[in-house]
Order: sequence, then C-alpha cells, then structure tokens
Amino acid sequence: MPVGFRAKDMTRVQDSPPSFLVRHEFLIRRLHSLSGLVPVGAFMCVHLLVNASVLESPAAFQKNVYQIHSLGSLLPVVEWVFIFIPILFHAIIGVVIVMGGIPNTGNYPYAANRRYTLQRVTGMIAFVFIAIHVFHMHGWIHQDTWLEKVVRPLGGAEFHPYSAASSAGLALQSYVMVAIYLIGVLACVFHLANGIWTMGITWGVWISPKAQKRASNVCAIFGLLLAIVGVGALFGMRADGAGERLIEARQVEDKMYEHKLESGELKPNEHKRGGGEVTKSEETSQVSVE
Amino acid sequence: MAKQRVVVVGGGLAGLAATMKLAELGIAVDCMSLTPVKRSHSVCAQGGINSVNELTRQQGDTEWLHLDDTVYGGDFLQHQPPVKEMAYAAPGIIDLMDRLGVPFNRTPEGFRDQRRFGGTLFKRTSFAGATTGQQLLYALDEQARRWHNAGAVEMYEGWDFLSPVIDEEGRCRGVVAQNLVTMEIRSFPADAVILATGGCGLIYGRSTMSMACTGSAVSRAAQVGAKYANAEFIQVHPTAIPGADKLRLMSESARGEGGRVWVPRKPHDPRDPKQIPESERYYFLEERYPKYGNLVPRDIATREIFDVCVNDGLSVDADRQCVYLDLTHISREELDRKLGGILHIYEKFQGVDPREYPMKIFPAVHYSMGGLWADYERAADGGLTLGSPRNHQTHIPGLFAIGECDYQYHGANRLGANSLLSCIFTGLIVAPGIENMFKSLKESAGDEKFASLLRGQRAVKQLEHDNLLKREGGRENPYVIHQELGDVMTKAATVVRRNDQLTAAIEKVNELAERVENCSLSDTGNWTNQNVVFTKALRDMFPVAKAILKGALARDECRGAHYKPAFDMPGIDATDPAEKRRQAEAWCDSFDEKNRKWLKTTIASIDKSGEPTLSYEDVDTSLIPPRPRLYGLVGAEVIEQVWKERQAEKTPQSDGPNGAATKAAVGAGVG
Amino acid sequence: MIADATPASKKPSSFEVRVLRQDAPGEPGYWERHQITYEPNLNVISVLQKIAALSTTADGKSTTPVAWDCNCLEEVCGACTMLVNGRTRQACSALVDRLLEDNPAGIELQPMSKFPVLRDLVVDRTRMYRALERVKAWIPVDGYGDRGAGPKESQEGQEVRYPLSECMTCGCCVEACPQFAKVELFQRSDESDAEFAERKNRAYDQAFIGAAAISQAILFNEHPTGHMNADERLEALSAPGGLQVCGNAQNCVAVCPKNIPLTTSIARAGRQLTGYMFRKFFDR
Repeated sequence: MPVGFRAKDMTRVQDSPPSFLVRHEFLIRRLHSLSGLVPVGAFMCVHLLVNASVLESPAAFQKNVYQIHSLGSLLPVVEWVFIFIPILFHAIIGVVIVMGGIPNTGNYPYAANRRYTLQRVTGMIAFVFIAIHVFHMHGWIHQDTWLEKVVRPLGGAEFHPYSAASSAGLALQSYVMVAIYLIGVLACVFHLANGIWTMGITWGVWISPKAQKRASNVCAIFGLLLAIVGVGALFGMRADGAGERLIEARQVEDKMYEHKLESGELKPNEHKRGGGEVTKSEETSQVSVE
Repeated sequence: MAKQRVVVVGGGLAGLAATMKLAELGIAVDCMSLTPVKRSHSVCAQGGINSVNELTRQQGDTEWLHLDDTVYGGDFLQHQPPVKEMAYAAPGIIDLMDRLGVPFNRTPEGFRDQRRFGGTLFKRTSFAGATTGQQLLYALDEQARRWHNAGAVEMYEGWDFLSPVIDEEGRCRGVVAQNLVTMEIRSFPADAVILATGGCGLIYGRSTMSMACTGSAVSRAAQVGAKYANAEFIQVHPTAIPGADKLRLMSESARGEGGRVWVPRKPHDPRDPKQIPESERYYFLEERYPKYGNLVPRDIATREIFDVCVNDGLSVDADRQCVYLDLTHISREELDRKLGGILHIYEKFQGVDPREYPMKIFPAVHYSMGGLWADYERAADGGLTLGSPRNHQTHIPGLFAIGECDYQYHGANRLGANSLLSCIFTGLIVAPGIENMFKSLKESAGDEKFASLLRGQRAVKQLEHDNLLKREGGRENPYVIHQELGDVMTKAATVVRRNDQLTAAIEKVNELAERVENCSLSDTGNWTNQNVVFTKALRDMFPVAKAILKGALARDECRGAHYKPAFDMPGIDATDPAEKRRQAEAWCDSFDEKNRKWLKTTIASIDKSGEPTLSYEDVDTSLIPPRPRLYGLVGAEVIEQVWKERQAEKTPQSDGPNGAATKAAVGAGVG
Repeated sequence: MIADATPASKKPSSFEVRVLRQDAPGEPGYWERHQITYEPNLNVISVLQKIAALSTTADGKSTTPVAWDCNCLEEVCGACTMLVNGRTRQACSALVDRLLEDNPAGIELQPMSKFPVLRDLVVDRTRMYRALERVKAWIPVDGYGDRGAGPKESQEGQEVRYPLSECMTCGCCVEACPQFAKVELFQRSDESDAEFAERKNRAYDQAFIGAAAISQAILFNEHPTGHMNADERLEALSAPGGLQVCGNAQNCVAVCPKNIPLTTSIARAGRQLTGYMFRKFFDR
C-alpha cells in the first residue's frame, strides 16, 4: 500500500463556484443512467438482433438493412440524434464518472465490487470499441472527401448497406478484427446487463437485497442471451464473408438490389454496394480485398 | 453585558439533554466533549428506560411506587425529593423520546412495548432492541445537531476539560479546556458550567465503562471546591466478559434462560470444561442458595462469584479470575431464539461459540452511584421546585453536575434502567434553573472585567502542561501505574470490603499518587499527545480513588453495593418462637441503630493536594421511611412483622398518597 | 471457529505489528515495526495499549506511543475504526488470534484512507457529521414540552427503522466505498479558524455524502413526523455530491459492522428521489 497517495485523492476541492457539471450532477447522472438503457441499450439490442438475422440468411439480413435504409435522407439524423449523440453523452459522462472512482477490489474482493470495477472497465472498452467499430464499418461521417481521403485508406467504412452481409463479413476476416469485435461485443453486453441492474437500484426499482438478487439473476440471464445473439451475429457475419458463402451472399444481395432498382424503390447508388472483389476461380474460392 | 453562555461538559445523554433544552430556551451553549458526542459512553446502555405507563397503571402501579422501588433498591441513601420528581417526570420523558424518533420496540397494535427489570414487579421498562442507550443518545445527538445547524449550539468535540474558572467570590465563570488534537489550551467564558461527564470506572483499570470514563473532570472540579458524595458506592455487575482491554457486559438474561454458573472443584483444572464430569464441578450458587440457584439477586451473585475466585482460589484460569457461565445444556435453536444477540457479542469478542463451550465471566465495575454533591430545592409537595437554580448546583455557585457524575438518584445501589432516566431527567431540569439564574445575574462572564481572570487561569493550566512535558528524570510509566491502581482498587473496593484491605489499599494508593508525580512521558510533543492527556487524567484519578477508599473504610455497615462482611446483619437462626421474636426485636434495634449512624451521605472535600476529608450529611427520607431490605434473609417474616408493628406504633403517619409503600416492601431482587 | 477453546499449542511466542504512522496532517507516513508478546484473547486495542506502554520499536529504539481513537471497546461507539490488514473495521472487535490465523506474518495497522489523518491512526471524520447536517438527520419536533406520546408505529415500521438507527457513524461504509474520495484541506496562514471551518464545510458539502448519511435520510423519511420534511432531505440527496454519486459497488453493506441494510436504504432513496424528481418538475 503506497504511502504517498494523499494528494491525488483530494478531488473536487475547490473554492470557485461549482461548475455546470457539478451543479446539475443529479440530473446528468440520471440522464446518464437513462441513456444507457434508452436509447443506447435498446439500440444495441436491436442492432445485435438485426445482425443475428444473418444467421438465418444473408437475404434476411439484407432485407432488415433495406428496411432501416428506407429512412433515406432521415437516416443520418436518426443516427446522430438517437444513437451517436446519446452514446457520446453516455461515454463522456461515463469517463467523468470513472475518473471519480477509486476501485479497491484488492482489499474488498466482493462480487458486487468486482462488478463495479468491471462496469467501468467494460465501459471504457465499449467506448473505444464503438469508436473503432463505427469507424471500421460506417466511417463516422458520411462526407465523400473524408471517406475517400481518410477513412478508406485506413480500412474504415467497410460496410456497404446494399451488400450488407458480404461486406460486413469481408471486413471481419482478420483474426485481430474478430478478437476486437469479440471483446468489444462482450464488454458492451456485460455493461448493458450490469447497467440495467444498477439502474434498477438507482431509480429505486429493486430495493431489498432479495429483490436485488433476483434482478441480478434476471440481468445475468438477459446478458447471457444477448451475448449469444451478439457472438452468433459476429461469427455468422464472418462466415458469410468467405468462400462459397461469400459468393452466394453477394449474388443474393445483387439480385435484391437489382430487383429494388427495377421496382423503383431504389435509385442506383454504387457507394452503398460492393466491398471487396468477389471472384470465383475454378480451383479455389478466392477472395481479395482491395 | 455580553450574551450569557453555558458550557456543557460532556455529550452523553445528560449533557445533550441539557444542551438541547438550553438551546430551546434561547440560551447560548458551548457543548464540550472528549469524544464526538455520538460516541459517548451512553451508547453502551442496553436494557431500557423506566417509567410508569398505561399498562402498569392498570395493575396498580403509580409514580409513587416507582419512587418507592428506587429508594428501596438504593437502600434509602438518596434524598427523596429529586427521586420523586424524576419518577413523576418519567412518563413524559419517555413520550418526549418517542417523539424524537427513538425506535422503541412496539406491540402489534403499535404501542411502545415494555419489559420487566430488576427491583420491580411491573413491566416499566421501554426498550429499543438491546441498544436502548445508543438509541436514546442518538435521538439527543440529532437534536443537538439540529441546534448546531441552526447556530444556537457550538460543539467542541475533542476537548478535555481541565478546570472550572472560579472568581474571587468563588463563582464559576467559565472553564479551561485543552484541544486533544492541537493541544491548544483555551479558556471559555461561561455563566453556568454543567458537568455531565459520567462515571469513573477507569479508576478500576478495566470495567464495563468506556475509555473516556476516567472521572478526571469530576476530580478537577472537586479539587477546586466542589464536593464528592457517596464515592464508596460503586455498582459491580455480576456477569461480564473479561478482556485484556475491557470487561464487556453479559446480560443477566443468560441466567434467566437457564444458564448455570460453576467452577471446577480442582483449582485451575486444565481440562476442556466439557470433559469435566458433573461430580467435579462446583455449582456454587445452586449449592449455596438452593432456593434461588443461579438467579439470586445481582449483588449476591456478584459477591459469591468474587468469593469463589478470590477467597476459595477456584478461578477457572490461573492467571485471571473467572467462572463458567454454562449454556451448553440448552439446545442451539432455543439459545439462538432467546439469547442470539448477547451470544453474538461473546462470540465476536472471545472468538468462542458459547453454544459449544461454557462462557468465562467475572463481575465487573459497572456504575458509580456516587458523584459530585449537588443541591436541590424541595417543594411543598415533596418534589423539586422546578426552575430553581439550586437544582443540581454543586458547592461552587454556577457549577452544576448532572447524569452519572452527580450523586443524587441512585443511593447505595442503582436499579437497572433507571440510569438512562436519571441522565435525561437531570439534563432537562437543570436548564430552567439556569435560565432563572441568568435573569438574576447582572453580568456576563464574557464581559471585559472577567477577561484577565480567564486569561490568568488559562495561563496556570498552560504552565502546568508545559512543565509536565518538560519534566525529566522521572522513571515511572503512567500506563503501569494505572494498571497498579486498577489492581489495588479492584481488590479492595469492589464487591467485598474489609477494613484491613482498605487500609492497605489507601497506603498503596498514596504511594502510587506520589509515584505518578514522577511519570516521564514517552511523548513530549505538542500535537495529539495522548500520552500527556492520559497522564493528566491518571493523576486526577487519585483524589477520587482516595475518596472511594476512605469512604468505604469509614462506613462500617452494609448498604446496597457497599458490603462489609464484618458488619453484616445475619438473619435469625432460632427455632423457638419466643427466641425468634427476641432476635427479631434485636435485629430491628440494630437496624435502627445502623440507620441512625449510617443513613447519611458521605461527603468528601478534597484539598489542593488531592487528599479527601470526609463529613456526613443527613438524608431526606421524609417521603418514604427507611425499612429493612430482607430479600433472601433467613427469618425475614418475623423481622418484617416486628418492623411493621413498630412502624404502626410510631405515628399514624401517611406512607404516601395511596399507602403503597408497604405493599412494595415485598419487592423483588434489586439490581 | 473456535480459537481459544483448544490449548494454545501452536501459538507464536510473539508477533509483529506494523503501524503506518504520521506525525501530523500533511506530513509523510512511515512504517514502524513493533514486536508484541503473544497472549491469548488479545484484540487490536490491547495490542495498541501494549505498544503505548512499551514505547519501544521492534529494533529497540524508543518511540512515542501510537495515537489512536477508541472509547467503548465493544463495537458500539464507532471510534476505533482503522485499516487492519488493509480492511476497514473496528480495532476493538479485531481479535489477534483470528488475524494471526489468517496472516501469521503479523498485523498491519493503517489509518483510514478517506479521511485526513490527524496523527498516526487518528483521523478527522467531521465530514460524516457534516453529512448528517446536510440531510437534516433529525425529527423537527415543535419543542421539548409535554405533547403526549409520539406517533404510533407498526412493528414492521420499527423493524425497518431500528437497524438504520444503529449506525454509529464509524466510517467503514465510506472508507470501503470506491466513490468516496478523500477531502483534505489545510489552514492558510491568513485564515481564521472560523473561515477555515467554513471553507472545509463548503468542500465537504460538494463531496460525496456517503452511504451512512443516505441511510440516515431514509431513517427519518420513514418516521411519520420526519416524513413531513422528507422533501428537504431528498433535495439534499439530489444536490451535488448526493445519492447520484453512488456507483453501486455495495462495499458499504459488506463492511458495515452493524449489518445495516445500507444498499436497501440507497435503493429506497433512489425510489424516493425518482418520485421527488417528477413531483418537482410537474407539480409546480
């Protein structure tokens, strides 16, 4: 146990009037708590479930993606208002919260305390992972110069919504990426499941130790199921990104695209298609990525 | 005139009750305490708080009977007017504490629940789990905090009271106190000073009392003119858990539920107690008191356990005194249901499961009935004149004593669950008296004319402190002297007192008192120096210790907690009715004679050198005439008969508004 | 389970006690080793008493007695809280036999880490009492005159309040709390005692209030009379440093020596605040 820890523990000692963050701490913390479930947590559930539809078939997944993209030009607005900004808010306040804590599982190795520490660790992982993930698949901002000059050269914006399963699958071929996604998805799932449990205490839903225990069991089951969905989606997607299945997936996607063009539902948009050069040689299923 | 102020020294039940009441009256209060007030010794009280209540009333109980039980239990050594006032105020006090949010145990209908305690036939005791003292203290602590928050009360927690400040007229004008952290010595002007500093158990080394209960504050007041009364009356509880640091209370209920007290017949038998066969066990209480067995009254149990260990040398352990309190013959389920709480304490502190192994227990010093002499003003109805500044004032005008550190309410022996009551009661009634005193005072200690007095007395204490820090060459260790003092006092002045032992103890204590002046400090710094604070407290234990010993030596009788076998009045052994009658007459004669001589308050005046001189004062027994305590005595019926006949002959006097006193004479055990 | 009942055959003849000492606020800490002769049934208080009486370190150097806080010695006053082998607890109920079973190498004593050290093992816990003022932890009775009994209370109600009312403000809950950070200020040379006290209170009032005070707020909100100003306590609990800082690590309830259901109080406070929040926004 170090002796010289004193000065750094003296947080928030100040004579100046309290900052905005301090003055509205209660409201901000409650909003932080709420935003974790709605919209961020809810979005994550939908996102993982939609992704997991790839396990049914690439077509099913593609159909879901078309549904989302039917929002058209509203999509970026929805993305920013209901997804990115809440996530950013949740993440930034989360970082502030993490900085205010002094984890102590060494001396107090209780289960709830470990979960407290884990909640912060997974929150941090989730923050980094989501940043990577959105860059990797989405590119952060849909602005052509940014995408062409910065994102694509760095291996980002790999997801092409009109070639949903195949492009995502292609992007997930490297072991490093799979590892990042596996850790990231599991961290997010834990963070949500445990976050629901703590949220129930914060808002006063479950009160007695018994009720809290029951709630933690329910949250654990929820987390386990969501983890299965998430991991299933990840590996399902990956499987559709290689070999015969990639070619099949791309064929289905192309067919669906052409069908949509024909019916007039879509205007041609080659940016939203493709990803990788899918060829089929006689000997092997060769996949190459640009 | 500057605003008049009160300094309350001590933040236990009494001190906080006074603080909040004074604050309510609009009087500025400085509340000073060694510890944060929430950590005061009052938290250790477990059982409950007595008062007449609706249910006991329906069984014939009255405030008068509460008074009667209290003075009978106290062997008539207390002035009766204050006790009467307390008994009559008690129901209102419980109501007040109830309103303050004390979580008293409840009946299914939501009323306060009561239990029965020693020394009464009625269920008078309200309780909050097994931590009534803690709960009551917290309620008062909360009110004090409320007043502090409102700016009406200043808290000085972590200050050691060094001395009252007394002007040339002999009036108390403030206090000098020392901060335990910074060691700053400061004088506090005050137009009234209330001492509520509790008992003096630390004089006995280890007791059931807390580490703050050194009695030093009281001693410091007594050394400058306050007087100390009934010092020799120290209550010893029969069953406590001996510890290297403290003796922790083990409730009487363990015996109530069937616990058996025994020692191995072979001294210090090293065997596992469970391996010792019945024939080699000495159930001494059951053998000596076949009728009452293990449930003899507290004072008798205490004496017998002491006797078996000290005089018969049959202590369980060779290196310390203890006997077995055995519950192992009772099923675990039953024990957990009925005694779970107290067994948990034993388990926590001894690391031994009392359901599996007999507990090791020994009597322990528990309460000081004596304390600073304090005045009262009798009213026509036999109670107190409320609002009189005389109430609870010591010999020093302006200096008051309340709570355990006064001597007024418990006589020679305190009843269980009366101490919490007396603390709160005294705190509440001292305030209006001070309010009235302030009206008649034409000046304030905060006035400029007292500044030099306060500065001067502060300087005296500062010099004493500096000299103590600078002292060199002394070889004495204060902690060792304290241990020796505790040993001497425990041996000579607890359960059984003998004049030869007391004489020897006085000599030994005198010697220790000289040695304490030679203590060298291992810490001579001036920051949070607990060494110097302890040494000062130790030095001030001696005047009180001497008062206890001298008082005990002088008092050649048995009364309440003061038991001298040489002056015991045995029962009647004759079988022939005429001889029986004659012996009973003789017994009553000697009882009268004993009261004529000893039904008196011992008053110790302590001089500058710390030496007490004794004098005696008559006790006001005008409400309930003294009568013999015959509990467990052989031939009690005959003596009682003779006694009653004599009383009847004397005068057709009233013995209370409802003639209840004689009814209560058949009182049960006194604790 | 049974430490004493068997003969003390395997007990050491002596054991080492390491104490983290500090001479005054703001000064560096330093470890001091003491060798204590073993006796059965010692607790940490009696060990400290022995250290005080000896005033000699394990190396034979003379030293000042270690300063520490204590009073009741039966775990009901809360004074003697310290870190024993790294964990917060009362020194009086820390039995040496048990400690040596767990860690035969010796015993390590440190002051609480979340409060300013005054000297050695003595810390300044006024922040906790200040927190009780923040939440108005009292029943605001009209006065102390005779107004009859208090409100009736069900047995269930009493059984909810009684455990909360056993809190002795010992500080274990906040010491173990990862969200409770130390606040330590030093008096400036140009600052009076009163000014310094005020500055300290301002700092305390912004910092996390801690489980003990949250639980006390609930204790009084549950009382029929105390309930009348429940909103004031809820307002305090939602002020900066209030309930929202809780991170649900639940160490408080795990280390509480009185087994007070602190996390239940915290959740209850959360529920009351949820209601209060809506009332505050929509009722006026």
